[in-house]
Amino acid sequence: MNSFQLAVRSVIRKPVKSILLFLVVFMISLFLLSGMTSKNASVATQDKTRQAVGAGFLLTENEANRHTRIDKVLNKLGENVEGNLDGVIVEKLELAGGTSWRISTDNSFETLRMEDIEKIASVSGILDYNITTAVTAVNPVNFSRIEDSDVDQSSDILGVSLIGNKKMEMDSNVLSGNVTIKKGRLINEDDFNVCVISRELAEKNHLDLGDKLKFNDYHDKENSTACEAVIVGIYEVKQKMTPYMSGDTYRSENVIFTDLNFPEKADGNTGNPLYEKAYFKVQNVNQYDSVKEAMKKVDIDWERYDLIDNNGNLETMSSNFNDLENISQILLIIVIGAGSVILSLVFVFWMKNRVQEIGILLALGTAKIKILGQILLEALLIAVMAIMLSFTVAPGVSKITANYLVEQQVQQEKEQDLLDEGKVAKPFEESEETVTDVIVAISPQIMLLDVGCIVVLIIFSVGVSGIMVIRRNPKDIFSEMS
Amino acid sequence: MILDVRNVDYSYKSQKKKQILKNVSIGFAEGRFYTIVGPSGAGKTTFLSLLAGLDTPVKGNIFYNGEDIQVKGLNYHRKHNVSLVFQNYNLIDYLTTEENVKLGGNKNPEILLREVNIPCEDWKRNVLQLSGGQQQRVAIARALASDAKVLLADEPTGNLDEATANEIIALLKLTAHELGKCVIVVTHSKHLAEEADEIVQIKDGNLTFQTDCND
Repeated sequence: MNSFQLAVRSVIRKPVKSILLFLVVFMISLFLLSGMTSKNASVATQDKTRQAVGAGFLLTENEANRHTRIDKVLNKLGENVEGNLDGVIVEKLELAGGTSWRISTDNSFETLRMEDIEKIASVSGILDYNITTAVTAVNPVNFSRIEDSDVDQSSDILGVSLIGNKKMEMDSNVLSGNVTIKKGRLINEDDFNVCVISRELAEKNHLDLGDKLKFNDYHDKENSTACEAVIVGIYEVKQKMTPYMSGDTYRSENVIFTDLNFPEKADGNTGNPLYEKAYFKVQNVNQYDSVKEAMKKVDIDWERYDLIDNNGNLETMSSNFNDLENISQILLIIVIGAGSVILSLVFVFWMKNRVQEIGILLALGTAKIKILGQILLEALLIAVMAIMLSFTVAPGVSKITANYLVEQQVQQEKEQDLLDEGKVAKPFEESEETVTDVIVAISPQIMLLDVGCIVVLIIFSVGVSGIMVIRRNPKDIFSEMS
Repeated sequence: MILDVRNVDYSYKSQKKKQILKNVSIGFAEGRFYTIVGPSGAGKTTFLSLLAGLDTPVKGNIFYNGEDIQVKGLNYHRKHNVSLVFQNYNLIDYLTTEENVKLGGNKNPEILLREVNIPCEDWKRNVLQLSGGQQQRVAIARALASDAKVLLADEPTGNLDEATANEIIALLKLTAHELGKCVIVVTHSKHLAEEADEIVQIKDGNLTFQTDCND
């Protein structure tokens, strides 16, 4: 009678010990599968979120590089020399306290370069792109802005803010879902001298689609030329946009979206735009990383720019689900740790209860290693059945586990938001999107990993508990038997 | 001599000063039925363990057919050279009567079970469902299933009533005289001891042949 025949008989004819091990292995396998699928679910949800929001990259100016470039131009100009070089203006000011030097930059220095934007946009995998101008303060000529009557406006420039877009649909405010059109339409690439105003501004001035708004340079309200823009849309916000600066000029209701070239004209800087952001939309989110690599290879002065993955919305969601991944990881570590301890105890219990059998087999000349092999074989036979059952139950349990973990995190996030309310400034891109479902799938890889983990755990546990058999003299075992 | 004990000393690891066996030398032949007798704690079972290769002597050697049993290993010795019968039968509880006999070796279990007088309706039953005497007979059948030339038994009749004990004694004698095996039995039973061909007395760590009963 070989070890396999003995193992099969032992498993079938000693049901209590078999059922005990079966339940332990079943639970370990179930928890392992749940942990692994939850870990996988987080990735799937991330991708889904990306797809919904629209994966893309944001190009902005690098602040550190800006300072480096200013220093370089100043070195070129020389010390204490007035002048205007490469967009950096150095002026000498004679003040009561003595001479001082004012250094400023113009739009040509600050703007993102159009040629760089176009080079990046031509990378394969980029579906579309948008350019957004800096928030440009201008004077409202033929309408009134929204003002806080309780605030002293003497220090304010009494203007409104213009934000120009190549395609307004890809403006970060629109992408995040914070800005939506209430009436009319968004601004397109082909539009010229058009604007989209806030619902509040339209109501205050009794404005409607087709009306024309006039703006001019707030530095010279009397003499500068007024530029006209036709209202093509009226928007509303879910959450007020965070002001660019203090003062009612920059308050959310006074933000007016225009076509890309309008702000420079209204500001008296025609032909000298100030592009602050460029957004590149990725065609296929699954190729996000490869597109990013291709973008980095574009021959431009990358030191001038920061390339930011997607937008604030995704960052929030990603960090949320990365937490899920961490929690799943912790769950897996706990299951493996606890599983190995419990299995070792189960096998110690087995060994203790089988001292007589072990003694008999030793007396019959069976090698100790063969006896351990039989016990391992029994454990594996039981494990096979337990794992198979866990595979059938796991999809349901994994779904419940993943949903629970996600729910806990979303709840935690909400509680944190409540705690932070009024204390922490939120970007206006922040979305109110919530998780509606978590998709879990038990792939063949997960199944294999589960089987591998269980087998390793069993071998480890049988090994640990088997030390008491390996180290003992057969006569001692017989003494214990008698 | 099939089994030859030469200059064997033995003491427990925990009580090294107390010698259980002192320079013991003795030989056992095939076809003979030996009993080992002596007071409790004299070292009868320990001596049997050494013969069975379940333990090793502190000093000295045990030879099987002229070869030190340690050369091929104690596992080999237990598997091929000796077979064991215990007082508490030591049958595997999840196996049937027939399967327990199969564990002992490759000989036909049905023939062996018939020889030890186990009814065929009991062959497929769980071995624990048999009576004590039957279980001991199954244990002997298992011992006979191997080709081992030495059968070692530790108090084989200790748990049995007189009638059953007599049956077992008869079976052991038969094994020695008919099958030609060397049967060595540790016992407290005077009756069993008297049935032996040779009685080995163990006292104060020394072994002596007390009587040559049947010669």
